[in-house]
Amino acid sequence: MAQTAATAPLDPLEPRDLVAPHHDDKSLNETLLDHVWRKPGKGWFMLFGLTLSALGLLVIGVTYTLARGIGVWGNNQPVGWAFDIINFVWWVGIGHAGTLISAILLLFQQKWRTSINRFAEAMTLFAVMCAGLFPLLHTGRPWFAFWLFPYPSTLGAWPQFRSPLVWDVFAISTYLTVSALFWFVGLIPDLAALRDSSKTKLQRTIYGLFALGWRGSGRHWHNYKIAYLLLAGLSTPLVVSVHTIVSFDFAVSLLPGWHATIFPPYFVAGAVFSGFAMVITLIVPARKYLGLRDVITDRHLENMNKVILATGLIVSYGYMMEHFVAWYSQNQYEMWTFYVNRATGPYAGVYWLMIACNVITPNIFWFKKCRTSIPIMWVASIAVNIGMWCERFIIIVTSLSQDFLPSSWGIYTPTWVDWSIYIGTLGLFGTLFLLFLKFVPAVAISEVKELQLELKHARHNSHGAH
Amino acid sequence: MEATVLDSWVLAEFETPDVLVDATRQMREKGFQGMDTYSPYPLHGGSEALGLPPSKVPFIALCGGLTGLTTALAMQTWMNTYDYPINVGGRPLLSLPAWVPITFELSVLFAAFGIFFGLLGLSKLPQPYHPVFESEAFRTASTHGYWLSVPHATGQDASAVIDQLKALGATQVTVVTGEKE
Repeated sequence: MAQTAATAPLDPLEPRDLVAPHHDDKSLNETLLDHVWRKPGKGWFMLFGLTLSALGLLVIGVTYTLARGIGVWGNNQPVGWAFDIINFVWWVGIGHAGTLISAILLLFQQKWRTSINRFAEAMTLFAVMCAGLFPLLHTGRPWFAFWLFPYPSTLGAWPQFRSPLVWDVFAISTYLTVSALFWFVGLIPDLAALRDSSKTKLQRTIYGLFALGWRGSGRHWHNYKIAYLLLAGLSTPLVVSVHTIVSFDFAVSLLPGWHATIFPPYFVAGAVFSGFAMVITLIVPARKYLGLRDVITDRHLENMNKVILATGLIVSYGYMMEHFVAWYSQNQYEMWTFYVNRATGPYAGVYWLMIACNVITPNIFWFKKCRTSIPIMWVASIAVNIGMWCERFIIIVTSLSQDFLPSSWGIYTPTWVDWSIYIGTLGLFGTLFLLFLKFVPAVAISEVKELQLELKHARHNSHGAH
Repeated sequence: MEATVLDSWVLAEFETPDVLVDATRQMREKGFQGMDTYSPYPLHGGSEALGLPPSKVPFIALCGGLTGLTTALAMQTWMNTYDYPINVGGRPLLSLPAWVPITFELSVLFAAFGIFFGLLGLSKLPQPYHPVFESEAFRTASTHGYWLSVPHATGQDASAVIDQLKALGATQVTVVTGEKE
């Protein structure tokens, strides 16, 4: 396998051996469904216990917030937006890799995506759920969150559609809905496979309900193929629009450090950057635990690291442009923000950590050795996640805490409630993810089988041609 | 689609997807109608072998998208320009550029709903019961089996169909009957 890839320079669009070739449909089925039927091991239960405890922190944090009001957070004047928006943007960003892997790579006919897309889409869904919690709680009275939607209210008031915060509501809810539909549509054939290989009547009934009676009919596939492609086509601009709209929350305001036209593309690149890093963080242990090394090969990981390198460079370029424009405008407030406050101010530590994680770390992926080393990429991916969190912290907190008037400056410190809600969402994400790994095939089986057949045809054809 | 009384089918399993596609084409050329293939993933050339017309899903998606677009524009214009005008620093009430983000999002949302429900509707799903499930062997269709169903009228002898399918390479053939679709 590796020898053929090394000897002949291949067209990048040509299908390559991304699945270990000793599998046929039946054995693929067994390998990929194995982790669903197998009883979860000790490791799973330990992790589940851990994430459930973290989820408990979320319950405590949210209950306390609801009982006492958001005064229990560290938010103050002037830092009215802090952990809630930092974490919101961070989680949404993580979600974006899922859609990118599924949608954009599907449109570009990047066959290597098949093994990781299910995984990444699940990540999207759970990340967006976590993200949604923060603005909801931030309203202070989340039980009135429906006021944000245009509904015929007795107050006679409509939402203000010129506000980016209302755009956010539409963007995030659309994103969550479309991601869920895309994920579910991709899942239907595999749910049918689960139904048909069920061991007990209960399993067959439950999976049968979710499979909607899918029977692999050619007439259904005929519509399915185009529907899936179209959903992918829709998701692609959706990703770009969602993070663009999130960046508008900042960019349309006049605050130094926020008021920048580079924000939309720079935010989108940052989202892809952190999202791919999160995929690596999760997939490295999962493929080991689930025994999916044949399907999620080292090639996949290497490719993802290349994406991390590319988007990391875009993010670095974004930082450079922010600094350049601040200098070029010669606006004293912008200059202060970028050259004094961020680099040497009270949050300088976070700033330099961000630079180390986001600008320096991805550059190790220029070296093939680092791209293909599992421990190195795992540590690097965690660094990137931390770095992107720091980026959001820097953007939000430094700009708000020291803006135009020194008389209105203030320092922000998160409280234990802030931390427990943040760690709690990590727990929520982990819990949902572990449940997903237990009950649903982590790899899109039908797509892998189709790819397998295509590879077989390609091998056959190339042998015929030579 | 329903060419004959659809309550009896001959189900045949084939070794590989290519043999199945080939057999489907030949059976259709012989004049069999309302056939269907079953496979764990889309067959290459499967739609052509069945002689299916282009899918209506893209059209439904377009209609959905346009509905979303019109809804969003009308909604924002009416709500913020006429019904509840909010003056923000003297900016124009009808500020179309500000309507763009929500208009885009709603177009995508409605198009996605169109695709999803269009897919379900065109495929007549959810349909938890279907007569083909009567055959236990057929359950491989979602994992590693390649099947072809040929409907034939009730009371008619299926043996001629069975023989033809066997000649085309079917490895096993069963007959299922069930409630009307």
